[in-house]
Amino acid sequence: MLLNLIPHLINGLALGLLFALLALGFMLIIGVMEVINLAHGSLFTIGAYVALAVMAPDGGLPYAFMEPYYALPAIPRYLIALVVGPLVAGAVGMGLELCLRRTYGSDPLYGLLLTFGAALVLEELIREIWGSSEYYLPVPQQISGGFIAGNLIYSTYRIYAAVFAAGMIGVLWLFLNKTPYGAVIKAGAHDSEMVRALGYNLTRLRLLVFGFGAALAGIAGVIMAPIWGIRPVVGVDAVIPAFVIIVLGGVGSFWGAVSAGIMVGLVVALTAAFLTDWSLLSMYLLLLAVVTFRSRGLAGKSSVLEA
Amino acid sequence: MAMDYEPKQTTAWITGPIALSLVVFGTLPLWIESIGLYQYLGVEVLIWVIFALGYNLLLGYTGLPSFGHGAFLGIGAYAFGLAQFEVWPNLWFCLIAAFVVTGLFGAATALFLSHRRGIYFALMTIAFGQIYYFIASKWTDVTHGEDGLLNIARLPVDLGVVELPLAGNAQLYYLCFAVYAVLVLLLWRLTNSPYGRVLRAIKQNETRVAFVGYPVGLYKWSVFTLSCGIAGIAGALFAMAQEGAYINVMSLQWSGIIVLMVLIGGGFVSFWGPVFGVILYFVARDVLGAYTETWLLWFGLMFVVLVIFKPDGLAGMWHDLMRRVQPRPAPVTASKAEG
Repeated sequence: MLLNLIPHLINGLALGLLFALLALGFMLIIGVMEVINLAHGSLFTIGAYVALAVMAPDGGLPYAFMEPYYALPAIPRYLIALVVGPLVAGAVGMGLELCLRRTYGSDPLYGLLLTFGAALVLEELIREIWGSSEYYLPVPQQISGGFIAGNLIYSTYRIYAAVFAAGMIGVLWLFLNKTPYGAVIKAGAHDSEMVRALGYNLTRLRLLVFGFGAALAGIAGVIMAPIWGIRPVVGVDAVIPAFVIIVLGGVGSFWGAVSAGIMVGLVVALTAAFLTDWSLLSMYLLLLAVVTFRSRGLAGKSSVLEA
Repeated sequence: MAMDYEPKQTTAWITGPIALSLVVFGTLPLWIESIGLYQYLGVEVLIWVIFALGYNLLLGYTGLPSFGHGAFLGIGAYAFGLAQFEVWPNLWFCLIAAFVVTGLFGAATALFLSHRRGIYFALMTIAFGQIYYFIASKWTDVTHGEDGLLNIARLPVDLGVVELPLAGNAQLYYLCFAVYAVLVLLLWRLTNSPYGRVLRAIKQNETRVAFVGYPVGLYKWSVFTLSCGIAGIAGALFAMAQEGAYINVMSLQWSGIIVLMVLIGGGFVSFWGPVFGVILYFVARDVLGAYTETWLLWFGLMFVVLVIFKPDGLAGMWHDLMRRVQPRPAPVTASKAEG
């Protein structure tokens, strides 16, 4: 009986780690810019659509012009998608940061409202380019399909997604904790004015961190696309669990976000196994249960954004 | 925060702008068709004005950005429909039911929110908005899910001796106008009362207000509840206008659009900001919408540009204009030093 749950647990783990990846990018942006980036879901969507354009001939690029490129085998195209998706999302994120500059120092509400407007614009732009219909991202054969082990069907792609997301989170942790760049970002999240006083170029740091956070959203979008499909509003479906994870894990806590992500993923996947219709509600119930007792989530610290 | 409402408060029940708004909205059905628009637009505008004025208590006056407020509009619409179908199809009863039920939902929600601020408040309102959206979409026995609650009647206005029908849009408009007139007088007094003063202080610096001894949590709880109750009334009127209650207004996007309307009009600096914002939104929808399918894209771009360069919206531009027309000595404020 318990064994039957294993595929669901793997699904939940994949989902949860991807949510966590999205949430970590969002938290980096909160940390250094003190901006709640409501356009984070749109950046996720952009990642997914760019991957689609790179992978599938009917994915929005002018096909005739690109014909020799689509003759490439699937694996190199997929690898290109994995790079280009986050790059484009990162570039859009940097553009957004340029717009945000005038709001620094005023009420954080303005940054939040600006990113909300940007989310609206990006979603409409995506509709303009790709239309409102749903696409599926084709992936190379090696990571699609499923296999049977001990009477249970496992989806190869979900295992790949879980491993990939876990790897990304690990690399991100190493980057933040073991490199000098990570140290500057963490210091910026703690007190950005002090970082400037120490002679770092804060303007450039903010631009790069926003781009980096956006790229993390983009890569989560590329990986999630084959699981959820691609449609203009897919970002909202992804970013809301990410918000839940941030409140649940606590703003500013790396492992808080990762463990909250895994919790949410598992809870959603397990309820989906038994009560399909209500699977997303369980996530909110978990949130209420935790937040009632721990108002800053599992591992949150007090934050400038509460003031 | 650099900008705020006029520091001066008044005890007047009627002011020039209120009288003007009553005259303009009161005569609207007489001239709206001659400028090429239609009666139903007036109904929509007034309903959203009612919703936006109530919402601005929260966003503009108290500085609490709720991103789940559309859910309460939806709850009001469902409550109105269900009260009509299941209990007593009487207009007054159903309106009060929508107000009370939505207020109760708001009060229960506010229990989780009233001690939060900033990002946690914003994210929690998103979560609650989604919870209600989700329940409304899945609890099909009550809400009929994606199909919506259909055939909600425009109940006649029962005045004891006479019954006025509301079948036509112009007739429904005058019911909305009556609600608007009562609401605008009450809200104007409320925002200019000591209670309103405390709300504005909470927006400026919550910690300081708490240190002075005000029960900040109670103020935030009560203003959230009141704002939800008003959303419930707007939802009830909306259900009558659409002759049904649908789930789409409960989505995150619609919750965001109300924020957008209030801000673009200048809800942060003026009581009238939400009114300007709603009118601009609906006129933009009809005028831009006549030229392009993607009018929301242009509206969104306008919003982004406004937040960057003129975050106090249309009302802020109006204030600047007035200042240029009749220059006065700059008021001495200490707001710079607060940071």
